[in-house]
Amino acid sequence: MSARTPTVCPYCAVGCGFYITRSGIEYMQDHPVNEGSLCPKGNAALDVLNHVDRLRYPMMRIGDGWIRVSWEEALDRLAEEMKRALREMGPKSIAFLGSAKCTNEENYLFQKIARLVGTNSIDNSARRCHSPTIVALRRMLGTPAMTNPITDLALSDCILLIGSNLAENHPVVARWILRARDRGAAVIVADPRVTPTAWLADLHLQLNPGTDIALINGMINVILREGLENRSFIKERTGGFEELDVSDYTPDRVSSITGLSAGDIVRAARLYAKSSASTIVYCMGITQHTCGTDNVTACANLALICGQIGRPGAGILPLRGQNNVQGACDMGALADFYPGWRSVDDSREIDELRRLWNAGALPVGRGLTADMMPDADLRFLYVMGEDIVNSDPTVSRRRGKLKRCFMVVQEIFMTDTAKLADLVLPAAAWAEKEGTFTSTERRVQWVSRAGEPPGEARPDIWILAEVAARLGFDFPSEPEEVLAEINQAVPAYRGISRRNAGARGGIIWPCPHPDHPGTPVLHAERFSTPDGRARISPVHHTPLERTSPEHPLILLTGRVVLHYNSGSMTMRSEGLVKREPEMHVDVNPDDAARFGVADGDTVVVETGWGRARARARVTPRQKRGTLFMPFHFPETNLIASELLDRNAMMPELKIAACRIGRAD
Amino acid sequence: MKEILVRPERCMGCRSCEIACAVEHSVSRDLFRALSEMPQKRLYVEHVPEYSLAVPILCRHCEDAPCVAVCPTGALTQDALTGVVRHNRDVCIGCWTCASVCTYGVIGRDRRARVAIKCDRCPELDVPACVSACPTRALIYGVVEDLSEARRAASALKLARGVAASR
Ligand code: SF4
Ligand code: SF4
Ligand code: SF4
Repeated sequence: MSARTPTVCPYCAVGCGFYITRSGIEYMQDHPVNEGSLCPKGNAALDVLNHVDRLRYPMMRIGDGWIRVSWEEALDRLAEEMKRALREMGPKSIAFLGSAKCTNEENYLFQKIARLVGTNSIDNSARRCHSPTIVALRRMLGTPAMTNPITDLALSDCILLIGSNLAENHPVVARWILRARDRGAAVIVADPRVTPTAWLADLHLQLNPGTDIALINGMINVILREGLENRSFIKERTGGFEELDVSDYTPDRVSSITGLSAGDIVRAARLYAKSSASTIVYCMGITQHTCGTDNVTACANLALICGQIGRPGAGILPLRGQNNVQGACDMGALADFYPGWRSVDDSREIDELRRLWNAGALPVGRGLTADMMPDADLRFLYVMGEDIVNSDPTVSRRRGKLKRCFMVVQEIFMTDTAKLADLVLPAAAWAEKEGTFTSTERRVQWVSRAGEPPGEARPDIWILAEVAARLGFDFPSEPEEVLAEINQAVPAYRGISRRNAGARGGIIWPCPHPDHPGTPVLHAERFSTPDGRARISPVHHTPLERTSPEHPLILLTGRVVLHYNSGSMTMRSEGLVKREPEMHVDVNPDDAARFGVADGDTVVVETGWGRARARARVTPRQKRGTLFMPFHFPETNLIASELLDRNAMMPELKIAACRIGRAD
Repeated sequence: MKEILVRPERCMGCRSCEIACAVEHSVSRDLFRALSEMPQKRLYVEHVPEYSLAVPILCRHCEDAPCVAVCPTGALTQDALTGVVRHNRDVCIGCWTCASVCTYGVIGRDRRARVAIKCDRCPELDVPACVSACPTRALIYGVVEDLSEARRAASALKLARGVAASR
């Protein structure tokens, strides 16, 4: 091991770089995205390595207990159970969950196993963060990804942040927004809550939860009425404009839906449309709704009619969650896409892969998505690095059902999901293996090994190659060899190698050949749709969850800066837990008075889906009529809604009607 | 002379600086340790909810530092050249006189050794850890004159814009 190993942060998808040295973290001042800086999670990243709780040996369940087994035994058993399920019930009875925390190479091999044994029932956590982005942006722009790199924000003159609390979730992005502000850019934040992100705003639109489409259509209404749209862009680069009818969304009507003043709606519209380069940044406040796909569509409509896309500083930036969620999707760890965004419904597109893999036939048609798995009649479930029990409302409630199938969990910690498993395989953490991660801005970065995994833990890629061998497939087990196969399977990755991905800051896809410099800005000349034009498509506001006398408040969920998703990693970092130790719920002072709750009380929050206990934090920052709970604690999942966006199979995680009361 | 300067209007309260500080000053920084110690920070991000602001408060290494003047044992000393106020824990008796006079309240208490604990401006680093870590550059390491110059330029820009708009 050399004295300092460059690496990429294992937490969020910003993709910050730093060095690992014998004595800890060293900042990487010349990394293009973070320029050395790290958020608290990045600073605490090493706490995960060699943590006392790390899984060290393969373990098999015997009754209610566990026994340590050899890798040989564990892998043989895994293969035997999978084969038995296939033999007795066929490919419909098995399912796979890939990981947005594992490398591209690992996710690629994982989905390849699923497809070769005959199922498209493979998914990953992207389902619960950006599946609506995938559906909407792929249909409208051709490529379901951020159009511009993060650093481009510094070039924007107007930045519209909607449904994103990036100051807490992707703190390093704020660096670039502030740079734009230094140059005089206007920052608009649309969020029902006064978040630290809202502190960055010149204009904070504190809209009612779930009224994003109304707001955006209202802005479009103003833009069209005042003639601020980009006619030539609409004519030359888009289709479908004629169908866009937003005449109903007058500022006055939108004001009554969103609770904003008509003047603010007009102001936001003018700022966005008139600036020389505007960017929309959105996150799960947009996607995690039953209307998530429509929300994304509305955002893209706005950008398209103003021509604010395809130029430096002008684009649409969906901020992805986990460090490799973009990559896991690019690799086809999805029930509806094969590697390279080939639709599971198009047998022609898949044909190329069939030849590449030397396969007889490949499964066609969407497989089970994560939320459908617990209710399906599964015999075998293989989970790689996902804590579904703590991140998925359906799974949380139906965990009992999962126990009926043979479940393998490949993890670094004994998560609540692993506790249900029949077989637990100890995996290496990010810095103990090699391979590529693709950040939210399509930046592919090679991560080198900085240390050895604890005990007998092994890189996922090794485990997968061993599993494949037992199923009769011959898979490469070196990350570089797998990347070479990805070059052929995923067109955008054709020219990506250890060389260019391993250079400082890696390379941004599409990279069509080895000497290509990468493509930071998408859609510069044409969109990646079949005819090269973007599709404008009308969407309309429909009221989401309504309050009722029984459930008079709206519960919002989100993240806090010190934690990460289900918490299986951050909850094990003492420095982080100390600072955000327990489940809390933010309550507006008026609502607190109305429901007899005082600051610090233990309260019960109840939705139509379940109930959870938390400690009340009374704060004027919380909008009246709403509550807020962070989702890093298991309780939040138990009360989140189970409604789905039918386009993207995204659960409504953001809002639910609820009531609150003191626990006693 | 370089100082750690604060631009509170840029701070979003992420507390990365606090964690970076604590990690930099933890005794066993070995990556392959079992996590046992609770690292302690030396700067404090104070949330002021009424104004929707977070303000990082850290030792100013005051010229003529009052804490140094009152320290009875000479545990606190000021470097004549750099102005850095250092603390020698071997001599400190934990009397908290320094804490009583520090306007900023940045003299902390080492939970185990029961002596004072304060910012030492990371003697082993070119740039203090909190500054390197800060995502928004709310913390900068530079000379006061440069900060003032940048502030003057920013206000001039604002004013010029106003004048231009009214022409
Ligand atoms: S912003 Fe994201 S990638 Fe960067 S240090 Fe924080 S968690 Fe890691
Ligand atoms: S500890 Fe307080 S009094 Fe002493 S130098 Fe720092 S800011 Fe000044
Ligand atoms: S790291 Fe920077 S932005 Fe974050 S709390 Fe500290 S000073 Fe504020």
